[in-house]
Amino acid sequence: MSPMLQGIITIFVGVGGCIAYFYGSNLILDRVIFPPRNDDHGRNINRATLVRPWLFLFPAIFALGLYLVYPVVGSFVRSLYNRSGNTFIGLGNYTQMFSEEGFRTALFNNILWALVVPAGATFLGLLAAQLTDKLRWGNIAKSLIFMPMAISFVGASLIWKFVYANDPDIGIINAVRDTIGMGPVDPLQIPFWNNFFLMIILIWIQTGFAMVILSAALRGIPEETIEAAIIDGANPFQIFFKIKVPQIMGTIVVVWTTITILVLKVFDIVYAMTGGNFDTEILPSYMMDYMFRDDGRATAVAFVIMIIVLPVMVWNIRQARREMR
Amino acid sequence: MKRTLFASVALLALTSGAHAQAQLSFPPGESDFNWDSYDAFAESHDLTGQSVSITGPWTGLDAENVEAVLAYFTEATGVEVNYSGSDSFEQDIVISARAGSAPNVAVFPQPGLASDLASQGMLSPLPEGSADWMQENYAAGQSWVDLGTYADADGNDQYFGFFYKVDVKSLVWYSQSAFDEAGYDIPETMEELKELTQEIVDDGGTPWCIGLGSGAATGWPATDWVEDMMLRTAEPAVYDQWVTNEIPFDDPAVVAAIEEFGWFAKNDDFVQGGTRSVPTLDFRDSPNGLFAIPPECYMHRQAQFVQTFFPENNDANFFYFPAYEEADLGTPVLGAGTLWAITDHNDAADALIEFLQTPIAHEIWMARSGFLTPLKSVNTDLYANQTLKDLGDVLLNATTFRFDASDLMPSEIGAGAFWTGMVDYVTGVPAEEVAADIQARWESIR
Amino acid sequence: MDNMAGQKTSLSIVTNLSVILLVILWLIPTVGLLVSSFRSNEQISASGWWASMFPVEEAIRISPEPEGVTRDGEMFVLSGNLFGEGSGTVSGFGIASTDPGAAEPGQVYARFNVDVTEPDGEVDNARVEVAYDAEAQATIPTEDEDGNPVVAGTAMLDRSLQVARNGDFTYVSDSEITRAPSVYITTMQPPQFSLQNYQTIMASDNMDRAFINTLTVTIPATIIPILIAAFAAYALAWMDFAGRGFLIAMVVGLLVVPLQLALVPLLQLHNRVGIGQSFLGIWLAHTGFGLPLAVYLLRNYMVGLPRDIIESAKVDGATDFQVFTKIVLPLSFPALASFAIFQFLWTWNDLLIAKVFLPSNSESWVMTVKIADDLLGSRGGDWGILAAAAFISIAVPLVVFFAMQKYLVRGLLAGSVK
Repeated sequence: MSPMLQGIITIFVGVGGCIAYFYGSNLILDRVIFPPRNDDHGRNINRATLVRPWLFLFPAIFALGLYLVYPVVGSFVRSLYNRSGNTFIGLGNYTQMFSEEGFRTALFNNILWALVVPAGATFLGLLAAQLTDKLRWGNIAKSLIFMPMAISFVGASLIWKFVYANDPDIGIINAVRDTIGMGPVDPLQIPFWNNFFLMIILIWIQTGFAMVILSAALRGIPEETIEAAIIDGANPFQIFFKIKVPQIMGTIVVVWTTITILVLKVFDIVYAMTGGNFDTEILPSYMMDYMFRDDGRATAVAFVIMIIVLPVMVWNIRQARREMR
Repeated sequence: MKRTLFASVALLALTSGAHAQAQLSFPPGESDFNWDSYDAFAESHDLTGQSVSITGPWTGLDAENVEAVLAYFTEATGVEVNYSGSDSFEQDIVISARAGSAPNVAVFPQPGLASDLASQGMLSPLPEGSADWMQENYAAGQSWVDLGTYADADGNDQYFGFFYKVDVKSLVWYSQSAFDEAGYDIPETMEELKELTQEIVDDGGTPWCIGLGSGAATGWPATDWVEDMMLRTAEPAVYDQWVTNEIPFDDPAVVAAIEEFGWFAKNDDFVQGGTRSVPTLDFRDSPNGLFAIPPECYMHRQAQFVQTFFPENNDANFFYFPAYEEADLGTPVLGAGTLWAITDHNDAADALIEFLQTPIAHEIWMARSGFLTPLKSVNTDLYANQTLKDLGDVLLNATTFRFDASDLMPSEIGAGAFWTGMVDYVTGVPAEEVAADIQARWESIR
Repeated sequence: MDNMAGQKTSLSIVTNLSVILLVILWLIPTVGLLVSSFRSNEQISASGWWASMFPVEEAIRISPEPEGVTRDGEMFVLSGNLFGEGSGTVSGFGIASTDPGAAEPGQVYARFNVDVTEPDGEVDNARVEVAYDAEAQATIPTEDEDGNPVVAGTAMLDRSLQVARNGDFTYVSDSEITRAPSVYITTMQPPQFSLQNYQTIMASDNMDRAFINTLTVTIPATIIPILIAAFAAYALAWMDFAGRGFLIAMVVGLLVVPLQLALVPLLQLHNRVGIGQSFLGIWLAHTGFGLPLAVYLLRNYMVGLPRDIIESAKVDGATDFQVFTKIVLPLSFPALASFAIFQFLWTWNDLLIAKVFLPSNSESWVMTVKIADDLLGSRGGDWGILAAAAFISIAVPLVVFFAMQKYLVRGLLAGSVK
C-alpha cells in the first residue's frame, strides 16, 4: 500500500506544488516586487510584463534543458568518440556507418517509413473523421478505430502476428490464401514489400490519433461557411476538398508532423516482428543494436535521425514564425 | 475437461510452489543430501543482519528454484537475500552497472557480457582461492576457470565468474511414441542421423522442426546448430581459434559447418513448413510439431531448456546429437552455463560465492528439476528424474566439452551479426558471403 | 427536391457502408487477439481464431490402463471405454499417430503380419493394415504398401482395435499387454473458451502490486507535464518577449530527440543527486520526455484561440495570470484532454523508461515490465497468455478513453465565441 499512498501524496504535492509555484510567483511579482502602485505604477507593470513570461516558462525550460538538451549535447560529443569513449575520432563513426550497407538499408527504409506512415495515417484519419462526422453511430465507430492507440507496441506486434503468421491455422492472410487454393506466403519475408506490411501496423495504430484531432478540427469549422457553400450548390466532395480541408490545413500539418516525429522514434514494431532481419531494419532499431555496446555509434545514428527530421523541423519553425507576425 | 483439469493442477502447483519458497524445500538432515557441507558452512558463517541483492536471467519456475536454494543460504548465515529475475537481464545489468546502482551479485548467462563489464571495472574479483577450488572440484575444472577469468580495467587477468548450473545443448528431442510406431532406431552416428532423415522423408513424413524466430534475437537457434556442426567437422582447437577469431569467420572450416547446418535446414523436404518457415517460426513454438497428431515432424535439436516449452502430457525423449563416425572426433558436447559474479562487493556476497562451493547448493536444485552440475562431489542419485540423469550422462560421456561459441564472442558478433547472418543464410545468401560479412563486422569492432 | 433527397440517402448509405467497412478492417486484428485470449495454447495452434466458433475435429492419443486383460485363445484382449469417467463422441480412430482417423466408429482396424514377395523374388515379412465392419471378415489386401504381392494365407493378426461411437473399445494383441497401448481417436471438440489465461495472469505473484505501481507511475506522470506545459504554451502563444521564436524552435527540435539517448546520462544524474532509481525519478523523466509534445500541441491550439477575447480581457485590466486561468485554460480543455489521453496511454504502455528508471526488483515492477520480463520470459511461446496480458493492459486506457472522449469530440471552439 505504501507506493500507492506515496503516489497519492506525490500527486497532491506535485500538482499542488506546481499550482503553488505558478500562483505564488505571480502573486509575489504583482504584489511585492513590482506592485502597480504609486509613482512607479506604469513602469512596474511594464517590468512585471517583462518578467512574467519567464515565470510561466521556467519549469518547462528547466525540465526540457535537463532532460533533453543536456543529454543531446552530451550525446553529440559522445558520437565523436570511439567505441570505448576514450579516443576522439571526429566524424569517424559517421563515415564508417555510411560505408556499411546495413546502415544504408536502414536509412532508406526509414525515409520510406517517414513518408508513408504519416501520409497513410493522416489520410485515413481524415477520411474516418469526415465519414463518421454526421453518423448517428459515429462516436462508436470512432472509439473502435481509436482502440489500437491504447495498445502497446509490443501488444500490437502480437496482434499482427495473428494476421501475418506463416501457418494458415494462425495467420489470417495465409488462411484466406489457403481457402482460395494459393500457397502460403510469409508477408514479412517478401523483399521490399515487407517494409510496407510493417508500416501498416503503425498506420493502424496512428489513424486513431489523426482521426480524433482532425475530427475536433472539422467540428470547429463555422457552420455558416458550409451552409453558404451548400446554398451555392457545392456537392459534398467539393465541400470537403475545397472548403473543409483548406480550413483545417493547420491541424493537418500538426498531425502530420507529430506522426512523422513518432515514426522516427518507434523501434518496437520492427524489433518485435522481424528483429531487423529480411532487410527491414530502420534507424531506431539499428541504433538499438549498438546501444550499450558501442555508444559512439549509437549516438551517431541518433543524430542521423535528427538530421532526417530537420526539414520537418525547419518548416515547422518557419510556420510558427509566420503565425507570430 | 481433462485438459482444464491438468491446467488447473499445474496452476495450483505453480502457486503453491511460490508460497512454499520461504521454507526449506528439503528438511535438513533427511535423505542423501550432503548435509555435512551445509552444517559446516552454517557454523563458519554468521552474517545476521546483512543482505545481498541478486539479479539474474531466471524467471518463473527457475526463479522459484534458485530462491529455494538461496533459502538455505539465508538459513545458514542469516543474510537476507533478494533475488530478481528478468527476461531482459542483459540490458538491465548494463544499465544499472553504468548508473552505479548494480546489485551485489549478478548471474550472467553469457561470459561475453561478464567480460565486457569486467574490462570496464564493474566486477569485483571472487574471494581468493576460488579459482583453485574450481580447478580441483569441477570436472574439467581448468576450462571452467578459464571461462570465468577476464581482464580487469587495468588489463590484468582476474577470476571473476563462478559457474553454477550447466546446460547441455547437443541434444535431439523426439516423441517416444512417434518413433516407436514408425519403428525408427536412435541414430548412433551423424551418418545414421542423415540416413534416418532421408528415411523419414521416404516414409512420407517430415524429419525436422527448426524455428529461428525469437523477436529481436531471431537467428540464435541456428548458431547452436553451426557450433555443434563445427565440433563434429573440425578439431576442438579449430573451434577455439574460431571463438577468438584467430581463424577468420569465413575460414573454410566455418563455412563447411554452416553448410552442414544447411544440409538439414535448407532442404524443403526436411523441415516442417519448408525452409521458408524456418526463419520466422518461433523457437518456443517449434517443438510443438513433435507432439502433433499426426506428427508434423520427428526430431528437434535444442538444448535441455526446451522441455519447458513442450505441451503438457508429452512423451518427449532425447538422444545425443551424434558425431560423424568418419571424422573420428570422439563425442563432442556443446554446452553453456550461468556464472555468478560480484557486481557490488560486500561480505555477504563473498559468503554467497563460498556457499555455491558446497555440494548442498547444487543438490537442492538437482533434486528439484532442470539442473546439471559439473561438481564432482554431489550425489547424482538426487537428480529429480531419469531424463536429468541421462542428461548428466551426456555430460559425463563427453570426450570434448565446448562452451557455446556465440556466448564467448563479442556481443556484436555472438549476439548480433552471427544471428542475423544465419537468418540471411537460411533465406538464401551463400554461406561464404554470410561468413565474410560477419568477419567484416568483427574487424570493424577491433 | 426529390432528386436531392434521393442523392442524400444514397450518399448516407455509402457513408454508412464505408464506415462499417473501415471499422471492420480496423477491428479484425484486435478481435483476433480478443478471441485468442480465451483459448488455450493448443487450441490456438490447432485452428485459427476465426474458426473457433465452430467445432473442430481434434485427434488425441489415449492410453487406456492395461487392467482386466483377458485371454482369447492365442490373443490378449483389453476392453473398456476410452473416455473413462467422462464422455465423448468418436468420429474416427486408428492405431498410429500418422493416421489417427484410419477407421470409422463401429469398424475394426487391424494390423496383420504377412509374407510378401519382393521384386527380386525373396520372401520377406511385411505389415498390412485394414479397416472392416465388425460383422464382416477382414479382407487381406493382395499387395503391401510398397506394391509387393502378399503371399496368400500367411496373414497373422498382430493387433486389432474396435471402437464404438461412445468410446467403448476392444483391443486385441498377439502379445501380452503389459504397457498401456496407444490408441488414437478423432473427436469433434465443441468450441471451448475459458478464462484460464486471465486467471493465470491475475494469479501470478505481485500482479496486484504491479497494477498499483503502474497507476502510481501514470497519474502524476500525466498531470504534472500538462500543468507545466499549459503555462509554457500560453507564454509562447500569447506573451511577447525576446527569444520567443528561439524557444518555439527549440521545443519543435526537441520533439525528435530519440529518448533512448537520454536514458543512461539521466540515470547517472539521478544517482548523483540522490534520486536514484525511484518513483520520483520516473515521474520527472516522463515529465521531461512528454513536455515537447505537450508544449507543441497546446501552443498550436492556444494560438488558434480568438485574439479579441484575450485582448478585451486585458483591456479590462486582467493580468496574464488571470487571463490564463479564467479564459485560456477553460477554452483549451479539449486540447488538454486530448494530450492527457495521449500522455496517459504513453506512460501506461511504456516499458523502456520503466525499466531504466525504476529499480529492477519485483516490488517496483509496473505491469508492462511484469508481463514482458517475468510472465513472457517464462511462458514465451504461450500466445494465449500473451493475448490475455495485452487485453488486461489495454483495459484501463480504454476506459479512460471512453470516459474522456466526449471532451475530445465536443469540438474545439464550437459555441464558445460567436
